[in-house]
Amino acid sequence: MRPQLSTGSSGIVLRGGFVMPERNTPQKALESWKQIAGYLDRSERTVRRWEATEGLPVHRREHEKQDTVFAFKHEIEAWSRLRTKCPGPEATDETTGIPPAKPLANTYLTEHDAITRTMHLYIAGCRAGDGDLMRPAFHPSATISGYCQGNEYSGSVEHVFQWITANGPAPNINPRFARIEIIETIAVVHLEVQRWSGKLAGANARASDVFTMLKWNGDWKITHKLFHWHDQ
Amino acid sequence: MTKSEYLTEYDGIVTTMQMYIDGSKQGKSALMRPAFHPEASFFGYAGEQLASGTQFLFDWIDKNGPAPKIEPRFVSVDILDSIAVVRLEVAGWSGNLTGSDVRMSDLFTLLKTPSGWKIIQKAFHWHS
Repeated sequence: MRPQLSTGSSGIVLRGGFVMPERNTPQKALESWKQIAGYLDRSERTVRRWEATEGLPVHRREHEKQDTVFAFKHEIEAWSRLRTKCPGPEATDETTGIPPAKPLANTYLTEHDAITRTMHLYIAGCRAGDGDLMRPAFHPSATISGYCQGNEYSGSVEHVFQWITANGPAPNINPRFARIEIIETIAVVHLEVQRWSGKLAGANARASDVFTMLKWNGDWKITHKLFHWHDQ
Repeated sequence: MTKSEYLTEYDGIVTTMQMYIDGSKQGKSALMRPAFHPEASFFGYAGEQLASGTQFLFDWIDKNGPAPKIEPRFVSVDILDSIAVVRLEVAGWSGNLTGSDVRMSDLFTLLKTPSGWKIIQKAFHWHS
């Protein structure tokens, strides 16, 4: 079982009062919508919209009310770096989009961040219950397979888009990257998602997803999604 | 899905993968076809060209012919109940289409079915 985490100024406090020193924590967290908005120098309304429609990586705390959020600075920076590269139609809101992050010289980091950017579109679609939102994350010939309530489904990714839209919003999903492995033009991503909810997912479901990705026209696209729903 | 022994699942996956390896080595797609799910897909770049579809793979294996010196290694075998990921590194590829001493990295995803573990996708990177 994952330790219950809360962050304090002196480090991460694990259940039982054990304090993990700050230098051992992988990254610093932003602790509220206000802090996330402040970090990006935008209004809370804007960063909430970016989460809903553009995959801004925001996490929910477990066992707390829905709107208790946090974000990792390194994830926000990776997201903003890629968003700056390809501003969407809404980039003109407020000023001209978010402050540009420094371009990365390191090829590995560039590819890693491009992959997480694609994955955050998938996550945003899951959270919003909007299949069309995640469509750009997938290759046009992408397929899926896995078992849903004991029945195997293997076929077109269109099934995912329909399922996501029919499921509706799943605002509390809690995704974590368990593995991102890149071999030049191909990659595999293992995503663990807890607290799935919705009309089809039920309540508090857990899914393990394995995505195979292809670098295609300069962008990373999902070519296959393999899923496993864990027993409740 | 019922829970089962890790080693049983691991060995089942390796048995399926061995069909792929045997077919590659002998240049006979018929040997590897049973390892693939009917809905399996296949992706990767052969030079600049994106190759896709298992039929492309099977045709390629048959046209390439024997590659007797391939050296496959399992880099990782990850099993999540009904699904699995295998990374295979294969050195020493040869044949009519490959040339000689080519290295490939393969990512296989597999699904556990009533008739055993089946490859549902193969993605490859051909090292130049």
